[in-house]
Amino acid sequence: MKHDQPQLIDALASEYVLGTLRGAARGRFERWMAAEWHVASRVRAWEVRLMPLALRLPPLEPSAAVWPKIEARIAAEAPRMARRRPALRALAAALALCALFVGVYVVWQLTQPPSLQPIATIENKQGPALWSIELDATQQRLRAVALAGAVPRPGHSFELWALPSNKGAPVSLGVLPEAGQLEHKLSDAQRAALSGAAQLAVSLEPPGGSPTGAPTGPVLYVAPLKTHA
Amino acid sequence: MSNSAGASNKEEELARLIEACAARDRHALRQIYDLMASQMLASMMRILRRRALAEEALQEVFVSIWQRAAQFQGTRGPARIWLLAIARHRAIDVLRSERMELYREADIESLPQSTVEGMGDWSSAGRSAAALERCFEELSGDQRRGIELAFVNGYSHADVARVTGEPLGTIKSWIRRGLASLRACLER
Repeated sequence: MKHDQPQLIDALASEYVLGTLRGAARGRFERWMAAEWHVASRVRAWEVRLMPLALRLPPLEPSAAVWPKIEARIAAEAPRMARRRPALRALAAALALCALFVGVYVVWQLTQPPSLQPIATIENKQGPALWSIELDATQQRLRAVALAGAVPRPGHSFELWALPSNKGAPVSLGVLPEAGQLEHKLSDAQRAALSGAAQLAVSLEPPGGSPTGAPTGPVLYVAPLKTHA
Repeated sequence: MSNSAGASNKEEELARLIEACAARDRHALRQIYDLMASQMLASMMRILRRRALAEEALQEVFVSIWQRAAQFQGTRGPARIWLLAIARHRAIDVLRSERMELYREADIESLPQSTVEGMGDWSSAGRSAAALERCFEELSGDQRRGIELAFVNGYSHADVARVTGEPLGTIKSWIRRGLASLRACLER
């Protein structure tokens, strides 16, 4: 059916208001009316034209039982309607609470020493492991923990390197402790090198580390990096 | 106070009450009920014929007014007509169920009258009806009867054909031409 002819729309609107548009056509027309403002306006116009006919009928008082039933229906409806706004309030409260938790968590995280995850273990082929290399989640801080296998070599330092997967130059991650642990903040260059690395290496260097920024002594150990976030 | 001033005051009052319903004022719904329920029931009763059925539909209408009150402003139409239209459409929707159509067919067989009985005169419809009355006078008797039976009694084309004994096509034509004439007259 073509619905763009004003005369047809008007004829359908008039029969809809009159009540003679029945069956499936009535439902179709109501959907059309709900979707198209100009169709609805034709219906409004016909309601204004014809409704005085309904006003000619002598009024008929409803039984006393009708209003209490309406009131009960409205009251039953009310919590449902009322719930909408409280629902919004509850949502807002829940969001505020979430935000508070997130805030507290962030502050707690900032004030806590960052939790460090092992990213590599430097091992000899035999014997106990030498160092555990750990990194925090934000990749800001690196910690090297000397393990049972770490044996000092007098007159030397052990230096840790990030070996780029693209075979680029190793980047120093600092000197390793001979005992205990060393923790330091990574520079941007170190962080970038670490994130682009697949392996770590340890070289033997003069005390205090390589003077050139590149490994100068033999590479003693190579360890794969554990995948980290 | 003149009739039209009274009608216009009632109109403003109803519009205000519908808006109050949109703001969830239950007392306003009760006031609408006091002002309009008897008129709405009269209209629905003519269509549904059984009082229990009409009163049940009237309940639905007021719940619907309560739920749809916020939509009223958007219609930019008269409040009384908006309310009556909800009542009439509800009554016709109740009729639409097949069971009701069957019930009505049996009922209509027992209704010999082919005119709309028991109507008040036009003055009871208020001044807003004056133009419609004038234009109704211009219709042929058949056209007027067809439109009245359909609108007031809620008869379908087939119902009107049955009670008048005229062919269905003739009835459709009476009503279609009658509505077109009414519109042309009302727009003059």
